[in-house]
Amino acid sequence: MLLDALMAGDRRALGRAITLAETGGDRAAELGRQIREHTGNARVIGVTGPPGAGKSTLTNRLIGALRAGGQSVAVLAVDPSSPISGGAILGDRLRMTSHTDDDDVFIRSLAARGHLGGLTASTPAVIDILDAGGYQQVILETVGTGQSEVEVGEIADIRVVVCTPGMGDDIQAMKAGLFEIADILVVNKSDQDGVDQTVRHLESMLSLRGPEHTRAVIVPTTATKGDGIDDLLNAIDRCSTILNPNERRRDRTRRLLAGRAAELLREHLLRHDSERLDTACRAYENGERSLEQSARDLLKLEYP
Amino acid sequence: MNTQTPYRVLVTKVGLDGHDRGSRIVAAYLRDAGMEVVYTPPWQSVDQVVRLANDEDVDLVGVSSLSTDHLIVPDLMQALRKAALEHVPVVVGGIVPDTEHALLFDAGVSAIFGPGTARDTIVNTVRQLAAAARDALENPFT
Amino acid sequence: MNRRAEQQQPKGYEKAETQWHDDYRRDIGDAQPVHNRSGVPIEPLYGPSTDPGAAHLEHLGLPGQLPYTRGIYPTMHRGQTWSQRQLIGHGTPAEYNERVLKMIDAGTTAISLIPCNSVYRGNDCDEIPLPLLGTCGTVVNTAEHMDHALSQVDIAAISTAMNDPSPFTLLSFVLNVADRRAVPWQQISGTSNQSDYLSHFIANHMFFRLSLEGARRVLLDHIAFCRERVPNWNPLSVVGQHMQQAGATPAQAMGFTLCSALQYGRDCLQRGLDPDDFLPRFTFFFDISMSLFEEVAKFRAGRRLWARLTLEQLGATTDRARRFKFHGQTSGADLTRQQPLNNIARVTTQAIAGILGGLQSLHTDAFDEVINVPNEDPARIAVATQNILREEAGLCDVIDPLGGSWYVENLTDEMEKTIVAVIDTVENAGGMYAAAESGLVQRMIGESALAWQDRIDTGDQKIVGVNCYRVPEEKDNHAVPPTVRPAKDKMQAHVDQLRRFKTDRSQAAVQQSLTALARAANSTDDNVFARVVEATAAGVTHGEVIACLRQELGFGQPLIVD
Ligand code: B12
Ligand SMILES: Nc1nc2c(ncn2[C@@H]2O[C@H](COP(=O)(O)OP(=O)(O)OP(=O)(O)O)[C@@H](O)[C@H]2O)c(=O)[nH]1
Ligand SMILES: [Mg+2]
Repeated sequence: MLLDALMAGDRRALGRAITLAETGGDRAAELGRQIREHTGNARVIGVTGPPGAGKSTLTNRLIGALRAGGQSVAVLAVDPSSPISGGAILGDRLRMTSHTDDDDVFIRSLAARGHLGGLTASTPAVIDILDAGGYQQVILETVGTGQSEVEVGEIADIRVVVCTPGMGDDIQAMKAGLFEIADILVVNKSDQDGVDQTVRHLESMLSLRGPEHTRAVIVPTTATKGDGIDDLLNAIDRCSTILNPNERRRDRTRRLLAGRAAELLREHLLRHDSERLDTACRAYENGERSLEQSARDLLKLEYP
Repeated sequence: MNTQTPYRVLVTKVGLDGHDRGSRIVAAYLRDAGMEVVYTPPWQSVDQVVRLANDEDVDLVGVSSLSTDHLIVPDLMQALRKAALEHVPVVVGGIVPDTEHALLFDAGVSAIFGPGTARDTIVNTVRQLAAAARDALENPFT
Repeated sequence: MNRRAEQQQPKGYEKAETQWHDDYRRDIGDAQPVHNRSGVPIEPLYGPSTDPGAAHLEHLGLPGQLPYTRGIYPTMHRGQTWSQRQLIGHGTPAEYNERVLKMIDAGTTAISLIPCNSVYRGNDCDEIPLPLLGTCGTVVNTAEHMDHALSQVDIAAISTAMNDPSPFTLLSFVLNVADRRAVPWQQISGTSNQSDYLSHFIANHMFFRLSLEGARRVLLDHIAFCRERVPNWNPLSVVGQHMQQAGATPAQAMGFTLCSALQYGRDCLQRGLDPDDFLPRFTFFFDISMSLFEEVAKFRAGRRLWARLTLEQLGATTDRARRFKFHGQTSGADLTRQQPLNNIARVTTQAIAGILGGLQSLHTDAFDEVINVPNEDPARIAVATQNILREEAGLCDVIDPLGGSWYVENLTDEMEKTIVAVIDTVENAGGMYAAAESGLVQRMIGESALAWQDRIDTGDQKIVGVNCYRVPEEKDNHAVPPTVRPAKDKMQAHVDQLRRFKTDRSQAAVQQSLTALARAANSTDDNVFARVVEATAAGVTHGEVIACLRQELGFGQPLIVD
């Protein structure tokens, strides 16, 4: 029933279904399975970058540009949960005010709920729901991330990494993580000093990347004024045509499953198979086996 | 019973009012009490609040009103009913003169928190109302 | 201090004192000697009995002498007490007019106009739900409305304070009314109370109408226009009150405000205006909290710093340009919903702090502050509080009576250091405009607000009736008159009348002036405010002026932070 309502474009059902996916459990799994056949149409644009870089402001503009092209747009905006209380202030909406009356725009704020990686554990499921609900474009705004949180790279079709002028050292730090996954590097706040220098810096870093990355482009924007947004959208569209979307999607599914399996395995070992885990631990602790060897023992894997 | 995930509450402002000292504090109270607070800019229209409540699927709507915008909260209550969101409790905080409490309660507002309300009173009432709203959603996902 | 400052400083304390004495006599002659109840004669000023040295002079000076720590005028309240400026506004222009005429009959020489919330937000009344109209201020959308609101008021004689954010339509209406009544603009005096768009962007969001950049441009046009054409009008009041009410500490509020003033001063310089001409027309507006000595020290330190900043940063050369004139308003955020009559004691305390701090103008809150805009009786008591302090308490007998107190002088120095640290933070972030645009100031204020609330919640800061000395609820709210809302039928008639006005006026003239306004907004040399005045004279309404400028200069979205 929820599925029918969802497919019929019922907004109430959409709101509820996302909550269900966030809550998890059997019903969520069932819904996720049912809607699978109705998915695969949405383009997922990931927007990531350090705190305060302008991700939400940029997203607000991007919604407008996509809407101008007649596309329906959903946004998932993720904010961190407090590790102490578990609560969160979901404030990305503060910068996404231009489209609140538009029936073809759906914005949902999510809290990370302890999930590392800049997104939520439920994000893939929620994307499917939005996809099945008929949204053609899904923008994922991650938690303001540092270098290591690159999950969005696993999930998004197009990855937009937002940085700002004068981020010299930060860019160095980004290099390892965020920078690697970028299809498009946005230098936002280009109304401020130091844009050219940052662009040059990024260019020289790009030239050092391996061949599989060469397609990344740099786009300066001023999200507050809307400058550069058309360029950004063009870059996104170009990326979509260059990258083979099916290939990427298959890739994404493979990585998604592998990742989820790894998580489940970890849980399983810790909670349900602790005997074997303890045996492996002992072997490691009394020096019989190395860490690597003990871990492989657990998985019954031979050395290659 | 569905208590394993944090309560989601909307803290927003309708009408013309721009006072936000109180709403920022309340948002922090609720976050520190383990709730997820969807925090919006002021000047939401009644229809926009309905949409927020729906899309964000919150367990409670909190309206902060200091400059008499509570006078259109009865319109909000009606609009929520029309959108099949009557199960979502609405609380109002800020300046509501005693003489106008009845106007809001009659319209279906669940609680009013004036200036000087103790933090615990706010947090506990909001939590109870949100919990009751979740429980009341019988078979919530059909 | 550089050379110029030294030249203006008389040498030696005795000489400075003689100078002060001459100035004092020149200003108020041989005023009546003052005695206290026991017959002890009271001098207008007390100071060190032996020469305290050059550092003292440089640091404190005497009243009316740089750096003005002890007051900006030689006579201060012994000569002229503060002006009593109560903010009023409610309902339709006709209802406002009734109230203003009553006040004028009662001897008021300065009036103010608070417009309706819908006006602040930039709308005409025909765009807004009826229940929200006129609840907090008067619904003024056209020059006609202003004419009505000021009916039988001699606008050439009275000073008006307009709560009138950029693009200043209320002043525009007043100038239109002056034309209709053949009153030359030179005779129009008063203040644009709410021209400080930075304070709106940061803390008073309802008032923020145009984009930051647009507001900046229009303010400069407004200042330039007023300096040229309405010389007795104060085009800029720099506001610390909003920020302190939003939660800034007193030192932060003073620091931020001085930074705003510096920003406006620099913008005026860039516009080619003369600091000695525009600075004397800058006024300040501050909150006065319950922290009595802290507030006194805040004002004393603020005066001293402004005297320095105008010289060092803005190149002022005259003493007048370096005077820190301020209006104070008692802190509404310190008042309580619980046991509302207690607020009279709080307002009294706050007012005393402001008076001892050397204010030029004062608004005292009514005891029903935490319930509604002031009802008539509570408003009357608020005015009476000022009268009592002025007439009965002897507060005006001595200039800077706390000067020389070890505690207060020390506190003034410490506040100054704290304020300077705030100024440094803002200046390092690129000045007030940049610090507001990036949200730095908003975040600092939010943190202070939370920290203060936490002190109340934990009981570290006692608030009588809230977290101590509480009484049962049924005994709590006595003596508060019931809230009055504008009469619905009158307001509906007012809205209908505006609709009729909009259809009946000359549409061609309206279109023409809107086109001129849009063109001015896109030009760099035309004065936008001058076009606003022309437009409203041609029947363009408040909402239409703002819609046009929002189109051309950008919509005003203040930066809301979580
Ligand atoms: C601070 C203040 C301001 C500041 C606001 C700064 C800011 N960024 O917030 C400034 C100086 C800018 C300001 C301006 C104005 N103000 Co003002 N302001 C106040 C004041 C003095 C205190 C409000 C406050 O912040 N209190 C402290 C906070 C912590 O308390 P609180 O907001 O009440 O919140 C507590 C509870 O109410 C509750 N709560 C509040 N919201 C919510 C929401 C939820 C979901 C929950 C659960 C609980 C809850 O919990 C909070 C914590 O205990 C009040 C009077 C008063 N003492 O209440 C007037 C007051 C609200 N202002 C008023 C007016 C008219 C204005 C102006 C229109 C003035 C004018 N005419 O020019 C402007 C417009 C402001 C705007 N931008 O919208 C009037 C409104 C009149 C009315 N209701 O009839 C008041 C009542 C004063 C008066 N009597 O005239 N103001
Ligand atoms: N000058 C300038 N400021 C910008 C620009 N884009 C965003 N900002 C400002 O930067 C601040 C942060 O913007 P957000 O869009 O909230 O940034 P964010 O990356 O979403 O932040 P988090 O979600 O908190 O990580 C806000 O004050 C914006 O107004 C820009 O192009 N120029
Ligand atoms: Mg964001």
